Amino acid sequence: MSSSVAEPDAPDLVCQIDNVQGMVDALSAVRWKRNQDAVVELSEHGLVLVVEDTGCLQAKVYLKRELFVRYDYSAHGRPRFGLSLGLFVDCLNTFSVPGQSSTLEIQYPGPDMQLLLRSVDTLGACIYAEIRTRIPETISWDYNFEPAGSTPLSFTVKSAALKEAIDDLEWPGSSIQITLQPDPPCVTFRSEGHGDLQIDFMYHANPDLLNAFQCDHQVAYKYKYKFLRATTSNLPGSVIKDNRGSKLTIGRGGILKVQHLVSVARMSNPQAHIVSAGYQQPSRIAYIEFFLKPEEDADT
Amino acid sequence: MKFKAFLIENGVNLLERRFLPALEKMGKICHIFLTRDHAIFLHNLLNGDGIQCIAQFRKEALFDDYRISSQNEDRIAFAIDVSLLQRAVRSSVSICSEFGGGPAENRLQIKLVKKLPPNCTQPMPFLTFETKGYKSAVIQDVPISKPLSRAQVLELQTALDLAQDLPPTLVQVPELNQLQSFIDRMKHIGELLNVFISKYGDLHVQISTTLITLGAEFQKLLVIGDRAQSPPEDHNLSARTRSERAVLRGDAQSVQVSVKHFWKSLQCHLAKPDCAFYGIAPQGACLTVIFQFFIPGTHQIDKSISLHCRLPVLDPGSN
Repeated sequence: MSSSVAEPDAPDLVCQIDNVQGMVDALSAVRWKRNQDAVVELSEHGLVLVVEDTGCLQAKVYLKRELFVRYDYSAHGRPRFGLSLGLFVDCLNTFSVPGQSSTLEIQYPGPDMQLLLRSVDTLGACIYAEIRTRIPETISWDYNFEPAGSTPLSFTVKSAALKEAIDDLEWPGSSIQITLQPDPPCVTFRSEGHGDLQIDFMYHANPDLLNAFQCDHQVAYKYKYKFLRATTSNLPGSVIKDNRGSKLTIGRGGILKVQHLVSVARMSNPQAHIVSAGYQQPSRIAYIEFFLKPEEDADT
Repeated sequence: MKFKAFLIENGVNLLERRFLPALEKMGKICHIFLTRDHAIFLHNLLNGDGIQCIAQFRKEALFDDYRISSQNEDRIAFAIDVSLLQRAVRSSVSICSEFGGGPAENRLQIKLVKKLPPNCTQPMPFLTFETKGYKSAVIQDVPISKPLSRAQVLELQTALDLAQDLPPTLVQVPELNQLQSFIDRMKHIGELLNVFISKYGDLHVQISTTLITLGAEFQKLLVIGDRAQSPPEDHNLSARTRSERAVLRGDAQSVQVSVKHFWKSLQCHLAKPDCAFYGIAPQGACLTVIFQFFIPGTHQIDKSISLHCRLPVLDPGSN
């Protein structure tokens, strides 16, 4: 549990983050359309933000307590609240001053169940915000992601290459088939529609591109293009620049899990950020996960 | 009705690099009002609803050999497209520098003419820029409106006189860039901005919608005009409460303006002012921004240049 003693009317959470832009980047990654309702769940381990689309796509952003310079959690249970993702991101953005490190304090709940934000270290200027929260709707589907068999079906591909491939698949049609085959180890993205387009990631041919590959039997599932695109459409520039891997795993029933890592390193020393790219301390990373239901059973 | 003058180098720099880029952001069309002593650029003084912007230059700041005559006390006013004006000044500058020599040899003459454009039967008014290079001369005609009538000039002069009222309290914005970057990001959130200005030197801007309240408070700013000491019991209160209490006490005023207008007023930083002051006119009639320019290399105010904006106040109940 948290370090702070729970007072009767202490807020559930008071936390401070010194890299607001990192938080904006992480949350923007799951912002694939204009109006999105998000659910935020607080716990002693950190914050999780969940967004969904028509029961087929779910995305989660994990902001662990290690990302925060202060994290005073004093709730019992796990408080949850709903808010507009777009508004939250736009609002956070106003706290991020380019070229300056600024510390943001987040508090929940306020006197009227609002989410309260304020800048804490700016001399002479104080920025503050109150965002109205909602009682969250229940998550419409529980994705219970389970491995498909004894060997996980997964591969890790450079984030920029994944995004480029998915962008290229836009023209042929509305559904994309992803095939994993063990021999020769290869991942295929195939789209049929107005035309055919097939993109192969050969594990042995492109070890730089495809960092890891695990597959013991051939599988193929189809996914709606618009949902697949949502997993990379708003990847922050820092993810493309760092170009670490994005991990894709196919679970039982063909559910596709896409994982990205977003750096939330301190902004104060940009040099250190470049030097340590790839050696990022795990505590300064926000985890982003997308879960995608397959279009139909096309397992071969 | 005659107007003819030579733009001096400093005047060209002021217009091309600083004022015209700023004025272009205020609106496509502006009025140029020329008097015996001043050249004034005016936005929205005759048609009421937009942000009013007034840039006034003593003739010596821009011109030499300045000659003006009209039957209306030597006053001439017309409307002009700011971007066309900017293009004409910019290309005149490039011609001047291209054809060598110093500015003394390549003088840029500007005058009002009437010409018969191709395919027209009626002569049209133009503001003409004439650049004499080493071997050639380049003439650029910028179309302008028909000169304003005596009644319209009077109306413009009256509006200009009314716009000179100073707010009782003005606070200096320390970092125009910081405020601008904040408003840049804030303008996605909502359309109406509440502005509080107190005699204690507080500037507090806030957007409030049904879903969100977002604000920024700048404290301990330099105050010109009516000032007061902020009560110590207010120091630990939230920005919102502090502003409300100051308004109740009569030490602060608040108005609601359009975020878009406020953002536009900040674009005046393109004119590179040395400082900026915000103030609310008596009875909350408008939000005024006054920009000051120093004589280069000093901290003395250059009285030959002035720039200020007046933002219309929106009725909080009307939306």
